[in-house]
Amino acid sequence: MSHDEKNNSIFKIALNLTMACFVSGLIISGVYFITADAAAQKAVDMKNAAMKALVQDADKFNPVEGKEGWFKAEKDGKTIAYIVPSESKGFGGPIHFLVAVTSDGKVLNYDIIKHNETPGLGDKGGQDPFKSQLIGKKAENLKVVKDPSDKENVQAMTGATISSKAVTNGIKEAVEAVAHFTGGK
Amino acid sequence: MKELWDIYKKGLIVENPIFVLALSLCPALAVTSSVIVSLTMGLTVLFVITANNVVVSLIRNLVNPKVRVPVYIVSIATIVTVAQLVLQAYLPDLYKALGIYLALVVVFAIILARAEVFASKNNLVRSFCDGLGMGTGFAIAMVIIGACREVIGNGTFLGFQIMPAAYDAPLMLILPAGAFILIGYLIGACKILVERIEKSKA
Repeated sequence: MSHDEKNNSIFKIALNLTMACFVSGLIISGVYFITADAAAQKAVDMKNAAMKALVQDADKFNPVEGKEGWFKAEKDGKTIAYIVPSESKGFGGPIHFLVAVTSDGKVLNYDIIKHNETPGLGDKGGQDPFKSQLIGKKAENLKVVKDPSDKENVQAMTGATISSKAVTNGIKEAVEAVAHFTGGK
Repeated sequence: MKELWDIYKKGLIVENPIFVLALSLCPALAVTSSVIVSLTMGLTVLFVITANNVVVSLIRNLVNPKVRVPVYIVSIATIVTVAQLVLQAYLPDLYKALGIYLALVVVFAIILARAEVFASKNNLVRSFCDGLGMGTGFAIAMVIIGACREVIGNGTFLGFQIMPAAYDAPLMLILPAGAFILIGYLIGACKILVERIEKSKA
């Protein structure tokens, strides 16, 4: 017992683990302190680059008043598209989008910012050929079907019906939100 | 030098983490649907396992044996988090590509296994070589699985179409079940290879 008390008392064991966690915390906070500014800067840069990629014609992006996260893509002072964040429930959790919608309510382009879809199946939702199906569509045609002869609507990706539906629904929501916004003006 | 080379070499084939030790099969199934993703994952693990082996080897005399496993996990988590923060700040594109996989590295069995089996009993240089060897073995195995799945299941290699356009890729191989069957065959092939190596030694 005496040996146990000397080296293996519960207090010592707990202290040992506490020390490990404390040191770990110190290291992480130190690194965070150094990198936080650079990370925030990069995040802004990446968002701007992402918006530029979505609406290539635009020369300026302005936030929309009263709508959190919305941006107007402007060209020569005229609004050509709205960039709207959207979210939907996918196969492996929420999928976050950035959707560019034209002023007359068509999908211009979209980008999946964050997702947990199956690699090789569901994650193709942000790539061609699935992506090109959605571009140019209006809200009423943003519906997933499995009938290959149906050219009006959206064909599901093989083996990833849930992801296909999630992507389509998320974009539909964004298109409807923009239609509501511009229609209400 | 010979000894260190032997420590490094055993992780490649004779004690390959996936094909022989059968540890960390989860990432081998989940993130090997294309070569590039497999390679990224393999290199990430190579980095984390080596760094963790070094850390564990350094602190091995300070850690109470009763809490060694939680301490090793804390060490792995710290390394991964630091890597995440640094990538986020300086290489956001790579950070975006790695996505959730980076956080998953924390729970890979192979990393904890090497800390427990090897690094906690060996000095720094030996542990470093072990981590490097095991990590390389892991990366090679990942790339082999990824290459088979991408070529057969998708008709592409590193994103380039290599099969004729008429090739109807079997979806099976892209799904995890197909990966499991493939890994079974690869383990069999590896077993034959290991037996050959041992025979030539004897």
